Amino acid sequence: MVLSGWESVFFWVFALTALVAGLLTIMARNAVHSAMFLISTLMSVAALYVLLGAEFIAGVQILVYVGGVMVLFLFVIMLVNVSAEEHGREELFNSPSQVTAAVVFAALLVFGLFYAVNMSAQQFAPGADTSTTERAATLRSGETRVSKISEDTQRVGSSLYRYGGLPFEIASVLLLVAIVGSVLLARTSKQEIASDNTDAEGEYVSTVETDASGDVA
Amino acid sequence: MNSLFTPAFILLQDASRFDNMKQGLLHPDLSKFLIIGALLFAIGVAGVLVRRNIIVIFMSIELILNAANLNFIAFSRYLQNTGNVNAVAGQVFTVFVIVVAAAEAAIGLGLVIALYRNKETIFVDRIDLLKW
Repeated sequence: MVLSGWESVFFWVFALTALVAGLLTIMARNAVHSAMFLISTLMSVAALYVLLGAEFIAGVQILVYVGGVMVLFLFVIMLVNVSAEEHGREELFNSPSQVTAAVVFAALLVFGLFYAVNMSAQQFAPGADTSTTERAATLRSGETRVSKISEDTQRVGSSLYRYGGLPFEIASVLLLVAIVGSVLLARTSKQEIASDNTDAEGEYVSTVETDASGDVA
Repeated sequence: MNSLFTPAFILLQDASRFDNMKQGLLHPDLSKFLIIGALLFAIGVAGVLVRRNIIVIFMSIELILNAANLNFIAFSRYLQNTGNVNAVAGQVFTVFVIVVAAAEAAIGLGLVIALYRNKETIFVDRIDLLKW
């Protein structure tokens, strides 16, 4: 798996965009800006998926994350009041000692992961470290060995339904539970009282306005 | 032509190592994708640990899940080149990760709204109901 030519240029552009936008996501003062930077990170990661020949996943990433999840995030940001943090009256981060400990931990994580990647990448490359350059040399200019758009989607689909039928159904049940759960959690207290206050006969006790038949409005 | 640019670096490292580095920059392979994934993961972990705003913490969790997805896709591509029969399994698993992430975001943001109604705050250090 070696990229070459314009592919490597695009790889570095999108990889650096993803990293910088990811850093800005956790450093932005305004939560809406955080969401915007997270969207650019997600788009860059989708572009990396395309470079890896996974066009279907890239499409799903943009549709589900950018089109669905991030819109949900933006709605919630606008529902809750975060203006105190934006105007600098509230501290952005935890206390300095906590931040120091967290940064030290994250740095250790990065070093450990770098070490692990370096160790394992040498194992995965057949024929040690010269193989990368050799394989790059044998690759003709313009030949990229990716961009077989229809084939990837077809293979993912057949693999998903052939080997992952049961997990697919479980995932759909999970989504149903998530829908019901989020509706239950996000009820207003008025709606909660209306549905919870029933007397012994199971009739609604009218704490909110009811019409003549006794149904809760 | 390459030797024109080497003298600046030759004090620090020998030329073959520099050539290796240049080759790695011009032809990114599996390990580069893994490093990008690792860095995204670390940024996400730092965001979860450092920020006080619970919505930004949720966004950092999305970043962590994306880093894991990037690793899945990179290894899937690597296996395709080795001719593995079921190499797209990584992509199938990524679909499930995206599904779980969407469910998690819906439930989590519902919790945030319920929390804001009851406690009037979204800062995690103010939500100390269970703290001694």
